[in-house]
Amino acid sequence: MPRNWSSKALLSLSLVLLSVYCLTPTIGHFDRLRAASEKNQKPLPFYLKLFPDQAIRLGLDLQGGIYVEMEVELDDALRNRSDLFSTEIERLTQKETFSPEKSERVGDSSDIKILLKKEGDREAFNRWIHDHYDNVLIEKRESRADKIIVFRLTDVFASKTKDQAVKQALETVRNRIDRYGVSEPTIVRLGSNRLSIELPGMTDPDRALNLIKKGGRLEFRLVDDKLHDEEIRKLVIETRTTLQLPETYTEETINKLNEYLKDKIPEDSEILFEVQYDPITKKSVGGIPYLLKKKAEVTGDMLKNAQVNVHDNEPYVSLSFNPLGTRLFGELTKANIGKRLAIILDGNVTKAPVIKSEIPSGEAQITLGFGDYQSVLKEAEDLTLILHEGALPARMKELTKTVVGPSLGRDSIDKGFHISILAAILVVIFMILYYRLSGLLADIALFLNILFMMAILAVFQATLTLPGIAGIVLTIGMAVDANVLIFERMREETRAGKSIRSALEAGYVNASRAIIDSNTTAFLSGIVLYQFGTGPIRGFAVTLMIGIATTLFTAIFVTRLLQEWVIYGLKRERTS
Amino acid sequence: MFQFKGFHFNYVGRRGWFVAFSALTVLASLIIITTKGLNFGTDFKGGTNLQFRFSQTVSESTVRKTLDPLNLGGFSVQKIGKSEENRLIVKMEKHQEESRNLSTQVTEALKKNLGADTVTLEQDETVGPKAGADLRKKAELAIIVSWVLILIYIGFRFDFAFAPGAIVALIHDVILALGGFALTGREISLTVVAAILTIIGYSINDTIIIYDRIRENLQKEIKLSFKDIVNVSINEMFPRTIITSFTVFLVVALMYFFGEGEFQNFGFAMIIGVITGVYSTLSVACPLYIWIKENESLFQKLSTQKSS
Repeated sequence: MPRNWSSKALLSLSLVLLSVYCLTPTIGHFDRLRAASEKNQKPLPFYLKLFPDQAIRLGLDLQGGIYVEMEVELDDALRNRSDLFSTEIERLTQKETFSPEKSERVGDSSDIKILLKKEGDREAFNRWIHDHYDNVLIEKRESRADKIIVFRLTDVFASKTKDQAVKQALETVRNRIDRYGVSEPTIVRLGSNRLSIELPGMTDPDRALNLIKKGGRLEFRLVDDKLHDEEIRKLVIETRTTLQLPETYTEETINKLNEYLKDKIPEDSEILFEVQYDPITKKSVGGIPYLLKKKAEVTGDMLKNAQVNVHDNEPYVSLSFNPLGTRLFGELTKANIGKRLAIILDGNVTKAPVIKSEIPSGEAQITLGFGDYQSVLKEAEDLTLILHEGALPARMKELTKTVVGPSLGRDSIDKGFHISILAAILVVIFMILYYRLSGLLADIALFLNILFMMAILAVFQATLTLPGIAGIVLTIGMAVDANVLIFERMREETRAGKSIRSALEAGYVNASRAIIDSNTTAFLSGIVLYQFGTGPIRGFAVTLMIGIATTLFTAIFVTRLLQEWVIYGLKRERTS
Repeated sequence: MFQFKGFHFNYVGRRGWFVAFSALTVLASLIIITTKGLNFGTDFKGGTNLQFRFSQTVSESTVRKTLDPLNLGGFSVQKIGKSEENRLIVKMEKHQEESRNLSTQVTEALKKNLGADTVTLEQDETVGPKAGADLRKKAELAIIVSWVLILIYIGFRFDFAFAPGAIVALIHDVILALGGFALTGREISLTVVAAILTIIGYSINDTIIIYDRIRENLQKEIKLSFKDIVNVSINEMFPRTIITSFTVFLVVALMYFFGEGEFQNFGFAMIIGVITGVYSTLSVACPLYIWIKENESLFQKLSTQKSS
């Protein structure tokens, strides 16, 4: 036997045993055993503890679940920021001599328009902004007019805000999902403004999306009673017909409405709707318009706690505020007894009750709509969770969504498995027919190759997807190439008159270079694929790359050991 | 079993035929792609796919009639898998961002018409138009990046004279694969892009194996002319080429004939790729290499003229 043979053989053998060990939880369906003993409240079978915890992780397409890609609307994040600044400026300058008449965000942009009381305040105000908002706000000189200053966010601050918005959105979504309790969610940032969210095992897409997308922006605003309810209703109907707006309550529609009615409603007010839903189809069936003050008196970030309560068989969410919120809420209710206070969630009025008396305790309730007890309770629980985890920094738009049912995944695994087995059998038979003994050795290597691949998938918890199975099938077809190269080389060397032992040596050495070169390029395209793809396609790239690595090892290292054993140990003069 | 002993084929002398054949097929592919166009799937175009499983046989036309009154815009109904599985895919051009309850609407309508227990929504996939367009750009970029990386690797590991042939061969393979998809009207999905990148990896593999042998023989067999060396190298590697492509062909054919949906699409692309991957080495990579080598002095002259 050549030097080191036995130690190399020992290494290979221990790798095989290690692989089998790592794959035992997958093959033995330990997850099912675990679930069963949890269900029956029995202790875990002792041997489960002897093996690793994790089986091969299945992708969403095989396991069932939800995959969504969201875009964080960065301009919305900037607008939210400007909204905050404009109220902040108003509040901070209240006691200054130059306090402006008004400070507000301009239209759809993130610019802030300041209306001064008198032109003479300009210099002092500008100095104040410079002191407090250096590198944040900068004057837009081209928009300067009598008593008006317009500021915009600086580029540096804007890009920082955008970046933070995506990070914060990711964090918020992650917290919400974690709290909701989905096992092993994957939430990652894609590029500059996207989030990819994978929720394996979850099958209620509407609920999941609601949980992810819901802005969670809570506001309490006073109802403006300058116009009568009936007048507002009429105005809305008129506007809808003149502008030919659809019967929807999207932000776009509402914005157009308000824009058109600008001159007919008070300047500091706007119209929002309480949307009514059909309890079964969950489609909006109508909306009650309200004229509301633009300014929010109390907001969601002043919340201390939100929880679900049930009264008269009707679940509702009760809120309690932090000290600041409690004080503001007390003052507000005291000063406005008899008026209506609207509770607004993400731009929609949920309710507008009349203030009957001062509420000094800082507590409020949100009652929820319609439907059966269970679905309202679910809705209340989700809302509590969302309010708890805070509002999203910006709106999010759904880019793609895939929901896979659990049965489909199981079918796909079975089919993929059958094709893999069939592929392996055909390749194995062909190799034995063509290369005889060497072919058998290559087949053993192929078997180990698949074993190692699966073990690596399990150990590194890489995700196996449907295209990933295609990658395994493809590896079965391509893995023999390395051995074919070596065996053909050995035949050539034998034909050139070399003894079987030196042909073996020369065959492996000379063929290895070509094998490594060709596999490196295949690996390169695997890396590109991984970079480009998401979800399932990454699974393919992963099995492809793992397959290349294990192929190199089994074809070059393991078959050589086997060949040496046949030639030196069994003293065979030919192997193929 | 048959062994390729003593097999010899005068490749270099006949390489013109190979080149001509490749030029024709590439031209044909380009014509088909431009006239028939590529059928991009939901992944790239945007839209909604709903996959249903029924507990009884339901014909495509029944589903179509059920859905017609819903005003879904453009949609198609398609059976997938074996007929006893009763699986159908409804593909719609609309995506759910614009009409939120598309999947509930369709599912409810089917349940109402066919009975609530007979219908299961197995997969619901929505792609916004923006995401689709982005993905297409990314796919194109991925293919080009893989070409560039391979070009660099070959230039680095081999002589630079080898690189152009390898890359043109890869471009050739991608065009033919796309031509196959245009001809059959098959859908180009994400999986197909993965297959195309795999074809690139596989085809370059074949080219490199031959190049490696040429490189080795160039250093060894001084007696032979340059063209003879190429000839000998290709002939020496012939058995390997046949055997390896046969085993790969075996498994991808299995995927095509026994797989379904995306698996089948993947198999289809790979079948084209396995075939073109092998002969593009002979019809593109090697002829281009020979041509560059023959005109090496010309290139050198050009480059010295430029620099002086």
